[in-house]
Amino acid sequence: MAILEVEHIHKSFGRTEVLKDVSFSLEKGQVVSIIGSSGSGKTTLLRCLNFLEHPDKGVIRVNGETLFDAGDLTTQLETQIRKKRLHFGLVFQSFNLFPQYTALQNVMLAKELLAEELPDYKARKKEIHREIKEQAVSLLTQMGLENRMNNYPHQLSGGQCQRVAIARALALDPDILCFDEPTSALDPELTGEVLKVIKELADNNHTMIIVTHEMSFAKEVSDQVVFMDDGYILEQGTPSQVFDSPKEERTKQFLKNYHSK
Amino acid sequence: MELMLEQFPIVVQSLNVGFLQTLKLFFATLIGAVPLGLIITFGSMSRFKPLSFITKIIVWIVRGTPLMIQLLIFYYFPGLVLGKPIWGSGETGRFFAAAVAFIFNYACYFSEIYRGGIQSVPVGQEEAGLVLGMTKSQIFFKVKLLQMVKRIIPPMSNEIITLVKDTSLARIIALQEIIWAGQAFLKGSQGISGAIWPLFFTGVYYLIFSGILTVLLGRLEKKLDYFR
Amino acid sequence: MKKIITFLMSAIMVLSLVACGSAKEQTDMEAVKEKGVLVVGITDFAPMDYEDDNGEWIGFDADMAKAFAKSLGVKVEFVEIDWDNKVMELDGKTIDCVWNGMTLTDEVKSAMDCSNAYCNNAQVVVVNKDVADKYKDVDSLSGLKFAVEAGSAGEKEVNALELECTPVKAQSDALLEVKSGTSDAAVIDLLMAGAMIGEGTGYADLTYTVSLNSEEYGVGFRKGSDLVDALNKFFADSYKDGSMMKCAKQYGVQESIIEQ
Repeated sequence: MAILEVEHIHKSFGRTEVLKDVSFSLEKGQVVSIIGSSGSGKTTLLRCLNFLEHPDKGVIRVNGETLFDAGDLTTQLETQIRKKRLHFGLVFQSFNLFPQYTALQNVMLAKELLAEELPDYKARKKEIHREIKEQAVSLLTQMGLENRMNNYPHQLSGGQCQRVAIARALALDPDILCFDEPTSALDPELTGEVLKVIKELADNNHTMIIVTHEMSFAKEVSDQVVFMDDGYILEQGTPSQVFDSPKEERTKQFLKNYHSK
Repeated sequence: MELMLEQFPIVVQSLNVGFLQTLKLFFATLIGAVPLGLIITFGSMSRFKPLSFITKIIVWIVRGTPLMIQLLIFYYFPGLVLGKPIWGSGETGRFFAAAVAFIFNYACYFSEIYRGGIQSVPVGQEEAGLVLGMTKSQIFFKVKLLQMVKRIIPPMSNEIITLVKDTSLARIIALQEIIWAGQAFLKGSQGISGAIWPLFFTGVYYLIFSGILTVLLGRLEKKLDYFR
Repeated sequence: MKKIITFLMSAIMVLSLVACGSAKEQTDMEAVKEKGVLVVGITDFAPMDYEDDNGEWIGFDADMAKAFAKSLGVKVEFVEIDWDNKVMELDGKTIDCVWNGMTLTDEVKSAMDCSNAYCNNAQVVVVNKDVADKYKDVDSLSGLKFAVEAGSAGEKEVNALELECTPVKAQSDALLEVKSGTSDAAVIDLLMAGAMIGEGTGYADLTYTVSLNSEEYGVGFRKGSDLVDALNKFFADSYKDGSMMKCAKQYGVQESIIEQ
């Protein structure tokens, strides 16, 4: 069974229709890259999955459970949406780390706040705190940041910040991890370290959706590539299908523009 | 010069009493206006249109008219128009009227500073909190508040220093703060008349007090320098 | 928007109507007796109202006010006010009367109901001691630059004589002008001049010469107040039994007292 099913998503901002009937599905452990020019609706799609936007029409299912159905208001209650968001993690283009916390605190904060809701929180406070900290330390070590844990975001490079942000998203152990152009805000020499980390996650069978402009990276890491244009999914398939023998004229043109850059 | 030395102890004692009143008004205003300002901010940023509209009108009126007139209205209006002087005539009543007018006035200024502070925290901070499963109030208190505070300290410091000096406006409703006390010796009081220096000497009190505040606020600002 | 304004306007009008209605219920005398205290608006103005070493208000006016309150069977409360706001203080009911060596001008009489005059005063010209000999009569004053309190009796006199003058905020400011040399002369109350300038004051090098007019002091009440008649009767009684004169002698103003 597919881990994620997205069916007939529509989203408009005012009169501009940004997503026009988007459907796709994803198997557990798969990596899908979404490519396309700016304004094609890629980022909006990710924001819909993370409930930062509410689709006007459509259904989102995770592990067969309907998380969102535009036709069913009971799936849109603010209190439930908070829990539903935890199925997804999101890594932002501009990191959005919390500047007043250290790298370690950034990774721990959300998990600690969630732990306060556990029924046995009071009794196991110290133990829980220790577990959360151990997990955060191991995540940051995995990101190659063992020497940077107590630094504040402004003391870190862009690439390091983005790796902290990835660790922060992983800390909540999401079913599906989303990346919104994770290297677009970075200097070219820093993109490598972030892409390397994402590649490792892919090798460890994390289910991921990556919106990216790094075509060679998408080709290398993805199981599936989706090409979006003007709010539609125009073409979809394995990397070799989409990159090497695209069917649509628009896809060919887009890829050509990219290669000539 | 000799005369001045003779007058000095009497004058200083009288100025101290006046300055105590100045300090009382200053702290009462601060304690009242800091939280009230936040309430006004939430009112003016409310998504419920009539509430935000009315709040904005009130803020516009309060910021658009001189504090001196507001003092006169707060103190005299109940007696003049309603026929019921609610404040009482004595020193305490005048102090309360002045404090209420000051709190209201400064809360409106603070609310605009808070609003700027809240709006200057990038949207991404809230979104990052949301996708990490935080509640709105957790996001406000754990993520946004400190960033807001950091951003509003410089403009708040300005307002607070201005408040120190603005307290002297309260003498329009005969609140006997330090300038009133200093001026009394010009007209004649406690056997000293035509003494000009006490009025100018009040400046020393203001200078020292605002100096202390500047240092304290500077320290607070520095304390939040650890992040950007 | 229009609706809101209309609503606010009507709310204010209803409130003021209610206010007018209720204000008529009680006379001043009844109100003072009910609260048990007569609130007297004053300024620090020796020898009429000033504080002694214990911070208690004394002076010719203050002592008479205490005696008047006693005759009504109520306590007295002295409240220092901003002189510019005296009419507002009265109408706003934050004080019951203005009893502070107040000159009975036409403006004062039109804004308040006043008692009979009880004390004479004059407006005098204040100049530097060194030049005092040159200014002994009204004719010698032309060419001087004057400083006077805005709206005071002194300003009126100076304007009537068509002399060059700068209005300032208070009589004391007028003296400051002369002392600092920014004006040549000031016109202030005789009683005040007696207390504020000459040896032992901050204005030791000033003196007063020409008297411009004579004027009279009275006590001011709200329009329509029934306390006016009560005070006039009290003045007449205390003049007859000599207690007013006794009080005047204590503060050195016996020469100026008007027969009641």
